[in-house]
Amino acid sequence: MSVMLDLLVVVTTAAFFLTSIAYVAGCTRL
Amino acid sequence: VTANAIAQVAIYMAVVVAITVPLGIYMERVFTAKPTFLDPALLPVERAIYRFCGIASETEMSWGGYAIAMLLFSLTGMLLLYLLERLQWYLPFNPQGLPGVPPSLAFNTAASFTTNTNWQAYGGETTMSYLTQMAGLAYHNFVSAAAGIAMAITIIRGFVRRSVKTLGNFWFDLVRATLWILLPACLIFSMVLIWQGVPDNLSPYTQDTTLEGATQVIAQGPVASQEAIKELGTNGGGFFNSNSTHPYENPTPLSNLLEMLSIFAIGAGLTYTFGLMAGDVRQGWALFAVMALLFLTGAFTAIHFEQRGNPNLAQLGINLAPSATQSGGNMEGKETRFGNTDSALWATITTDTSCGAVNAMHDSFTPLGGLVPMVDMQLGEVIFGGVGSGLYGMLVMAVLSVFIAGLMVGRTPEYLGKKIESREMKLAMLYVLIFPALILGFAALAVALPAGLAGITNPGPHGFSQILYAYTEGAANNGSAFGGLNANSNFYNWTLALDMLPGRFMMAIPALAMAGSLGPKKSIPPSAGTFPTNGALFVGLLIGVILIVGALTFFPALALGPIVEHFLMTGGILS
Repeated sequence: MSVMLDLLVVVTTAAFFLTSIAYVAGCTRL
Repeated sequence: VTANAIAQVAIYMAVVVAITVPLGIYMERVFTAKPTFLDPALLPVERAIYRFCGIASETEMSWGGYAIAMLLFSLTGMLLLYLLERLQWYLPFNPQGLPGVPPSLAFNTAASFTTNTNWQAYGGETTMSYLTQMAGLAYHNFVSAAAGIAMAITIIRGFVRRSVKTLGNFWFDLVRATLWILLPACLIFSMVLIWQGVPDNLSPYTQDTTLEGATQVIAQGPVASQEAIKELGTNGGGFFNSNSTHPYENPTPLSNLLEMLSIFAIGAGLTYTFGLMAGDVRQGWALFAVMALLFLTGAFTAIHFEQRGNPNLAQLGINLAPSATQSGGNMEGKETRFGNTDSALWATITTDTSCGAVNAMHDSFTPLGGLVPMVDMQLGEVIFGGVGSGLYGMLVMAVLSVFIAGLMVGRTPEYLGKKIESREMKLAMLYVLIFPALILGFAALAVALPAGLAGITNPGPHGFSQILYAYTEGAANNGSAFGGLNANSNFYNWTLALDMLPGRFMMAIPALAMAGSLGPKKSIPPSAGTFPTNGALFVGLLIGVILIVGALTFFPALALGPIVEHFLMTGGILS
């Protein structure tokens, strides 16, 4: 169970920072 | 407000003004690579770090490159902290044998310390090993603050450089902020705190017998070394659960004053650094004046309501008047050794900046006394603010102000000789709008779901205030606890983490983009139609814009929480 939660944390964190990098790209094109 | 309170605030403000200039000059020299007195000791260390990490520190970055370097650095640090928390049971420096931190709490804490929020849904002495505190939390205290200073410096470069597409090098700024500013300042301040009685050891907790004969466990640890960066880096995460109310974190009136000063120090100094880099120190003083006026207004408001106390108690014949033997007013949740003035003053300072350290429980303030810390944060943490983030937040507000002034007189707005055009305004709007969207969105979710309502310990408007405060401190990266909210649940750990992360990075990105947009522009010499941004009129306009953006957005929510609670209290309906 806790391994699944660990995985969820890692995926959520990575997804947030990838979204942030995409946001950088979006702001560049604004 | 008593004369004593006025004198204390005046002395505090005078010292802040006095340290602003030397700190500002020093930081300008550090980031423009001018010689400083620490160079003989630090230049070899700096060079060794660059060589070891393979960093070409002289290579200039675009704003996008700078932002991505900052994001990847933060991502790595956050995942490493998560790992450290989860595995602390297997690692050294854990004399109490504390188990691994549960996943949702570890995630919340990793997000909290990476974003310089330092919200704590845990008690330090019962949850974190010494290794986690030193190598995980204290590490982030330094680098998250250094990243904030780095971003402020690079954003200043965008405002003041002419016809240049690059804004500096993230690694250069990060290393310099850590080595030249935070480490030496913390080393000195830690020594002062040890002198004042703050412990710094790796010993197991002490067991002692109280006067009543009971056994008491007294927590120990490397406190002084973490206390210094807690305030200087506007982090705020206490070594102990009760933060700076704990006598081991804040033992004396002198330590209390010095801790309050260190919270404002770097944020205030950066305004002067900005003025120097802009080539006109009055530009920096104008921003300083805005911050100081908003701070003083908040401080005296909070002190007034805390000194006045709860009128329902006065009606019961309880003496609330200040005297030589008592602080008077509302003393619930406060240390008698600090009293009303220093508790309300600290609360204002810690929420003007994104520090969040506390020396009293904000949950126990009077409704309007407690409204002040909440509003301080809702104004966007621009009143000295987080180290670095406060200054760039204020610069975004300055751009908004000159735009509004330009609309009034029908001229193209300019700031520091740069034309403010539609791209900058779109970026300013992205910066401004995400903040209330996070706070109000998550607060609405929490009051609509049973998992959110389960955390409330006081029903009615005060319970709503607890929720509103929690998401405000999260998005504002403040981290102070209103207290009273049972926040160590899966719901609050996850939603607050997802509140803090965009509150830091999704606001920094448009601010960096604005600097990147202004950098390549030519500088226009001032003309008769230029609105001066270094005078009293601009100071007044900027204060107005900050208040209107903050007050209009959050007033309806505040009306449901502290404002209605105030009227219920004065009407005798709630005690």
